Amino acid sequence: MFYRRAGIRHTTYRSERQLWPLPFDRALVAIIFVLLVLAPLLVGDLYLAGYLLPWVIWSTAALGLNFLMGGAGQIHLGYGAVMAIGAYTSVHLVRAGTPLEIAMIGGGLASAAIGIVFGAAALRVKGLYLAMATLAMQYIVDFVISHVPAISGGTQATIQVPPVRFLGVPVAGNAATYYMALAVGTIVTLFMLNIKRTSLGRALAAVREKDYAAEVIGVGTLRYKLLAFWISSFIGGVVGAVLAVCYLRSVSPDQFHLELSIQLVAMVIVGGLGSILGSFFGAALILFAPIVFNNIIGGVSDALALPISTDLRAHVPLVLYGALIIGFLLWEPLGLAKIYANVRDYFLVWPFRHARR
Amino acid sequence: MTLNRRDFVAGAAALAAAAPLPLGRALAQDKVIRFGMLHDFTRVYTFVTAEYSQGQRDCLTLVNERGGINGYKLVAEVSDHGNDVPRAIETYERLKQQGAVLIDPLSTPVARALVPRAMQDQINMLTTLSGRSDAADGSVFPYVMPLSPNYWTQAGILVDFFRQQDKDLKGKKIVVVHIDTPFGREPLPIFQALGQKLGYELQAFPYTPPGNDQAAIWPQVRRARPDWVVFWGAGVGQTVALSEAIRNGVRMDRVASSVWLSESDMEVVGKNETKGVLKFEACAGGREPKLIQDILKDVVGKGKGAGPEAKVGTSYYNIGVMMGAILAEGVRVAFQKNANGPITGPWLNEGLRAITNFTAEGLMPAMTSTKTDHQGGGRGRVVRWDGAKFVPVSDWFAANQDLVWDEIRKSSAEFKASGK
Repeated sequence: MFYRRAGIRHTTYRSERQLWPLPFDRALVAIIFVLLVLAPLLVGDLYLAGYLLPWVIWSTAALGLNFLMGGAGQIHLGYGAVMAIGAYTSVHLVRAGTPLEIAMIGGGLASAAIGIVFGAAALRVKGLYLAMATLAMQYIVDFVISHVPAISGGTQATIQVPPVRFLGVPVAGNAATYYMALAVGTIVTLFMLNIKRTSLGRALAAVREKDYAAEVIGVGTLRYKLLAFWISSFIGGVVGAVLAVCYLRSVSPDQFHLELSIQLVAMVIVGGLGSILGSFFGAALILFAPIVFNNIIGGVSDALALPISTDLRAHVPLVLYGALIIGFLLWEPLGLAKIYANVRDYFLVWPFRHARR
Repeated sequence: MTLNRRDFVAGAAALAAAAPLPLGRALAQDKVIRFGMLHDFTRVYTFVTAEYSQGQRDCLTLVNERGGINGYKLVAEVSDHGNDVPRAIETYERLKQQGAVLIDPLSTPVARALVPRAMQDQINMLTTLSGRSDAADGSVFPYVMPLSPNYWTQAGILVDFFRQQDKDLKGKKIVVVHIDTPFGREPLPIFQALGQKLGYELQAFPYTPPGNDQAAIWPQVRRARPDWVVFWGAGVGQTVALSEAIRNGVRMDRVASSVWLSESDMEVVGKNETKGVLKFEACAGGREPKLIQDILKDVVGKGKGAGPEAKVGTSYYNIGVMMGAILAEGVRVAFQKNANGPITGPWLNEGLRAITNFTAEGLMPAMTSTKTDHQGGGRGRVVRWDGAKFVPVSDWFAANQDLVWDEIRKSSAEFKASGK
């Protein structure tokens, strides 16, 4: 009823293979996009700077990692380090007087160049061993950044992002930073949506399923694995630059430690491996579940004047958060994107229960 | 009852839907001054935060019990950020919306990330014994308020204490064992500069964070035959450093640390084994100071304490009380300057930057904050562990502030050059 598939006849390959063949889906995407664009007018600073901005940035990062993990099947535990390289390179470039647009690309290229070196390990090792190799990248990059004062910025180990302009607009205040992050996020999302339909996307899928089988049918694993690492690291670098310029506004090494990498891997897995929508859902859950639980527990204990200690009040949200993650992994191992797909499948034929797909 | 997938998902969705509901804040009064105490209770600082926050809230409760300041009550909104920057920024924005005039993140990474926002929004940020050391330069950081001796000052005071003990440090050797993070490396420039001035030899031994294995470092420390050993770390690194020092036969009365060493650490290592250890102290510990006595009588005694009574008088508890008292004094001075408000960040800022010779009824050395000096004079003292408590072995004093300020100005000039 909602989706109204009856009467939609695709007469060309082009229309059949478009991103959202159903008008309902197209309208939904358009409405959400318009809402996101209008968000600075609709919501206050708290929701813009506290929720939407980090959500857009972390989702974009999760997309970049999901491309590698879900698209090409290569695990990466050092994505935080990839973002750190991008962030530091671009901030140093901006401080040296380079325009932000070029500095962002420069950050992406630096991340890609270093990321591909560690990605080369993927040519020889798989699975857990690759996880270890990328974990090593995390630690090596952390070590180098915090031990070279020229990179980390002297005794305080913090470098400020100078005032910058993006496409002629000063990146300051909540609206401008949000629009810049949204613009980058939109471009990355469109890229991810389309890449699955290209030869590159199909080659990566072949590598993901069985790399030597891919080699047998003529898909060069050397080339495609390195390419996957290159693209993913490039996106990571650019997102790192966005994170530094739009959100953190001052970079220090501890912002890019293993915690960030693990957070991103969790977003990808909880959201759904290989799913674009899942990256957005995963980022929202992992970022905001602790905050929401904290606010609810705090609010309830305030409102009811519960005599619980601050310590307990701080830890209960974490307990609930852990239970929630375990719950999702137990009851929906395919991720949040699968829950959405289930709901959509249900409404696709609603009010009937079954129909041919 | 079995939990099926649909119920689980529905429950999670219901929670998400409940999130934006404006819970609590039912006790909104008009005569309040809000402070946002966003701390890390759960990740890195854990028990440090719990004791600090307890002291801070007990102190504010005492002020409120006595009728507040000018009829205004001081309200502390306590929240956990788990040392996580996105969570801290969300909390910061929420507190800003609620009209907080001051925030206290008590975490160096979070404080660093919040500096640009606090400066822009004109919200005072307390960085008690943490955060950027160069924030002492109030002309560059108008809204960042350490109001406590920074790490460079602590290093300067420790070295001066060594000099007082040995009369002359020429030809002596000082070893610094530090965690290999920016925080651990921070005091090294002062130790180096003082080494050149006083003629001692400095050797630094970094250990990898978090510092639960320092077995490779301490035999080297022993081999270096140091006259003084300073260990500089946080959390687990501190207790492990002490245990290893004992194991390697380093003389305990020649070992010193920064402010981040507490009774709890000594209990972990062994109260008697650590007899003689020195540390820097920013405010008096124990229950003797009058302010702590008042809190015991009027707050804890009446069942209004914010935590277990046993923690009252511990080092970190008293630091919390000190900061609470400084805040109250800042509010009092702000009312003196501008009795009619309005209660805003800049209003409180005027008060916090004009505190003169405040001692919190003997709890702390006289501190004077000005528009240029946010450190408050940089006084402290050295105390020694006697097996049961820390006993002062020096008076309150300030030392080597010229070198410290060279370092502060160098660093704040860098910030200024990049920030504008």
